[in-house]
Amino acid sequence: MGPRTARRLLPLLTLGLLCAFSVAHADAPLFTPPAPGTYELPPIQHVADYELLDPHGARVRLLGLAPGQVALVSFVYQRCSDGSACPAALATWKRVDEALAARPALARHVRLVTVSFDPENDTPERMAELARHLRPRSDWRFLTAPSQAELRPVLADYGQDVLPLVGAGGERLGLLQHLTKAFLVDERGDVRAIYGSSFLSAQILLNDAQTVLAAESAARPRTAALR
Amino acid sequence: MEKRLVLLVSLLFCLARPTLADEPCQSPYLPKVTGQEDFVYVFTLGVEGMGDGSDKLVTVGANPSRPDYGKVVSSVSVGGRHEVHHGGFTDDRRELWMGGLDDSAIFVFDIATDPAQPKLVKTITTFTKDSGGVVGPHTFYAIPGRMLISGLSNAQDNGGKTALVEYSNQGKFVRTIWLPEAAPYGYDVRVSANLNRMLTSSFAGRANYMRKLPDLMGDAEAMKHFGNTMIVWDFHARKPLQTFAVPGAPLEIRWALAPQHYYAFSSSALTSKLWGIFRKDDGTFEALEIAPIGDPSKVPLPVDISLSTDDHFLFVDSFMDGTVRVFDVSQPRAPVVVLEQKIGSQVNMVSQSWDGRRVYFTSSLLSNWDKTGADDEQFLKAFKWDGKTLTPSFAIDFKAAKLGRPHQMNFGSIDFYRGRVAARPSAAGPEDVPRASEGG
Repeated sequence: MGPRTARRLLPLLTLGLLCAFSVAHADAPLFTPPAPGTYELPPIQHVADYELLDPHGARVRLLGLAPGQVALVSFVYQRCSDGSACPAALATWKRVDEALAARPALARHVRLVTVSFDPENDTPERMAELARHLRPRSDWRFLTAPSQAELRPVLADYGQDVLPLVGAGGERLGLLQHLTKAFLVDERGDVRAIYGSSFLSAQILLNDAQTVLAAESAARPRTAALR
Repeated sequence: MEKRLVLLVSLLFCLARPTLADEPCQSPYLPKVTGQEDFVYVFTLGVEGMGDGSDKLVTVGANPSRPDYGKVVSSVSVGGRHEVHHGGFTDDRRELWMGGLDDSAIFVFDIATDPAQPKLVKTITTFTKDSGGVVGPHTFYAIPGRMLISGLSNAQDNGGKTALVEYSNQGKFVRTIWLPEAAPYGYDVRVSANLNRMLTSSFAGRANYMRKLPDLMGDAEAMKHFGNTMIVWDFHARKPLQTFAVPGAPLEIRWALAPQHYYAFSSSALTSKLWGIFRKDDGTFEALEIAPIGDPSKVPLPVDISLSTDDHFLFVDSFMDGTVRVFDVSQPRAPVVVLEQKIGSQVNMVSQSWDGRRVYFTSSLLSNWDKTGADDEQFLKAFKWDGKTLTPSFAIDFKAAKLGRPHQMNFGSIDFYRGRVAARPSAAGPEDVPRASEGG
């Protein structure tokens, strides 16, 4: 097996692990998440709306939110095989996607965004391949950056750390050390929640999205009630 | 190529998180440094007439394979005395925050750029104003993208009523959550991420902790103003669920680390008792007194606890008798003392390495509570632990080094910040390389 073959196999391996993780980790936290609207999610930090590449290679806004919308943003890379990291984030986003598909009134207000922090390997074509595997049923964007230089300010703004792993001799291993992080962002670009791997639950994410939308709705009387 | 791929995948699985937390007492949201630590970062209170007299962050070499082992590598003064006490890493371990209990100043150090030479990069002087009157930032607990800080006091009366305060990693104030009126005192805050439960404990306000200890203990009225409660919270909602009576100032909290160990420990300072907070079958919790610590009638004043990664041993430091007691807590409702050893004339903080083979102690409690005269020893002492015996490995006299009063410790690793995860020679063995928890 040549290097090119191995590189092509890795995403498939990842997706295989993702599927395995999805089955084994049935999104069942050991607690009942608090009901939407019973708690507050104050703004934590502000993020700008960066231009990245969609699977066609076209420049689009990372968020691009209309009034009355929120985005659930996760940063991943396809070669990650730490089952509790990127595959878990993708599996959770898939579960949220399916839940939103079943709730069109809510789905109109929620955008899912998956951003790769490995632009050299996760090209627009690779992101298109990922999207084909995951078959999104709601408004789910798969984005990558044209270059590390254009990715760097995005990661810095969100506070997503990424570091190439190196071996004992300093050689790059092709893997990335990173925290698993995901973000709930409102229409103004204010981050309202940040998730680590322990809170990657579709129910929590949906409850939080509804909590923020309800709070925003209260400040905007014309927004339809969300169900 | 197939072999390389297998190795690669094996490495990826090795990088998966085996357990919930960092060095056993750190936030579960931090990436772990599980192997041989290179440095111990020591929060140190300045002493008038000693060196520059300022509070400082002292970095001590802790890796036997490095030439700086057992030596002071660097020292960063923050200027002035603020009663620096506790702190913690941000969730990416890039910065280390350190709080002052007296004037509520918060000092932020860049660790990532050069772990041997931390740099003071930010000072937050608006904690009390930002938070609406909270005083005495105590525990600094990393949660995703934020620092969760427990206060000890308030600006209105310097009493024990206080709050939890959140800042973003960038240093922007996020919110204040006052503790409930029925249990208003605060001290430590710790989260069980899997259970979505947060525990807080309770100590005393600034009027008490900044007062000379003999004066305080002779004031019966003031001695009534100590915390007697612990609270279980819904962490995500930040809402209190249960309040327990835990007499005598319950201080440090340690959640068990192993999967399906749904309990935590704390110790009450004034009553010298070990407490267990256990999850019941219905999902609620109960707080139980599970063991005395030394002879409570002699007020040994337990101050810090450290739980081993395997939930087997709980180290309990008591200040007055300068003694560590190691409890076997493998049966958490029936702890047994397996070792009792005097560390110095006074001892305060205790920190274990992730692998449990090394244990570090420091001496200072609070600037106005430390002993005086010859009993005012100020040290960092490192020991090896083999499960039965503590064997000295090195010690630094912080008075002789003109540094001050050493208090809380955090560990650092060079390799973590370089993305270097492959085997590196280590005194403790090749399996003990620093390891990032959420890599891959």
